[in-house]
Amino acid sequence: MLSLDFLDDVRRMNKRQLYYQVLNFGMIVSSALMIWKGLMVITGSESPIVVVLSGSMEPAFHRGDLLFLTNRVEDPIRVGEIVVFRIEGREIPIVHRVLKIHEKQNGHIKFLTKGDNNAVDDRGLYKQGQHWLEKKDVVGRARGMQCSFCWVYLCWFIVSKKPALLFLGRCHTFRYWMFGVDTGL
Amino acid sequence: MAAAATQGGRSGGLGGNSGAGGGSNCGTGSGRSGLLDKWKIDDKPVKIDKWDGSAVKNSLDDSAKKVLLEKYKYVENFGLIDGRLTICTISCFFAIVALIWDYMHPFPESKPVLALCVISYFVMMGILTIYTSYKEKSIFLVAHRKDPTGMDPDDIWQLSSSLKRFDDKYTLKLTFISGRTKQQREAEFTKSIAKFFDHSGTLVMDAYEPEISRLHDSLAIERKIK
Repeated sequence: MLSLDFLDDVRRMNKRQLYYQVLNFGMIVSSALMIWKGLMVITGSESPIVVVLSGSMEPAFHRGDLLFLTNRVEDPIRVGEIVVFRIEGREIPIVHRVLKIHEKQNGHIKFLTKGDNNAVDDRGLYKQGQHWLEKKDVVGRARGMQCSFCWVYLCWFIVSKKPALLFLGRCHTFRYWMFGVDTGL
Repeated sequence: MAAAATQGGRSGGLGGNSGAGGGSNCGTGSGRSGLLDKWKIDDKPVKIDKWDGSAVKNSLDDSAKKVLLEKYKYVENFGLIDGRLTICTISCFFAIVALIWDYMHPFPESKPVLALCVISYFVMMGILTIYTSYKEKSIFLVAHRKDPTGMDPDDIWQLSSSLKRFDDKYTLKLTFISGRTKQQREAEFTKSIAKFFDHSGTLVMDAYEPEISRLHDSLAIERKIK
């Protein structure tokens, strides 16, 4: 058997101590997981903390900013509010501002969005044939912001299971869109 | 150099392996039992990084445990440790349930179950903290001395220790609880860890064992006098 000195500590442990080491590691992972799930339950959104990835909402949000989201059902969507929505067929949510709203008597809403730093509205990003967004596409509402840069990218990989927020709509990307090429940021 | 030292240590270990029925260990090593025996290094001298506080404390604790269990032939009681392991296992179980449930039923439907699991997890964390602070209290060994006549309940010996961060003073406390009278007596010593380790980080049992024996005998003798 190889003489592996660094394993001496492990060899000296009895079964209970080994099991406790495994449990210790499991508890660290579980604590992080439970804090994340707890935030999900409190805020009501699938992704309570997200990272801004592109610059289509400057000067309000810059790349690398952290956003805290809530998704309360009773919050009304009004023009000028910043909403986080997901387009059917795309995994990565988008954060833009509401531009126009059509509201029916029974409370049913259709709305149009646009990024502050974009030249045109988001109709080019929606699905083929879709001109308006509905309430069911909304993932949450941006409530708070934390300015930070590089370490947030690291946190993104560690903390969120699904891809973080993406701000689509950089100008050159949109030009590719017009020609039908999906760059899929 | 490290390999040569290990070889020397191992052959020394095998040669001195009298207490653990080691006659069959030398060289024959049939299949799995041979591999398992080679894995356990109970008789190898303990060598740790002398600047690592937690490694020092753990090695001193383990050696004290070994002295008490092997020299005086007490039986270890795993009750306290098992309690802590149970609480941790239940907490991890709640976390795993939350993870799997959320995977099977995507978010909005899984909200009540998630809320329940998260709250239970943090409640278990609170229980664990209370348990380690008030019930366990840095006790790392609970040993029973079975009464030879078989009539009286067991005497209990408890070992607890403390070593402050970046400090070199190690305190070992031995508590004796008589089975018959339920009286409790304590003895402790505080010494610098430099007295027990040599410059390379090896624990010198010849310096450590007499301390433990002295502690033990001081409590045992008082019992006889009373």
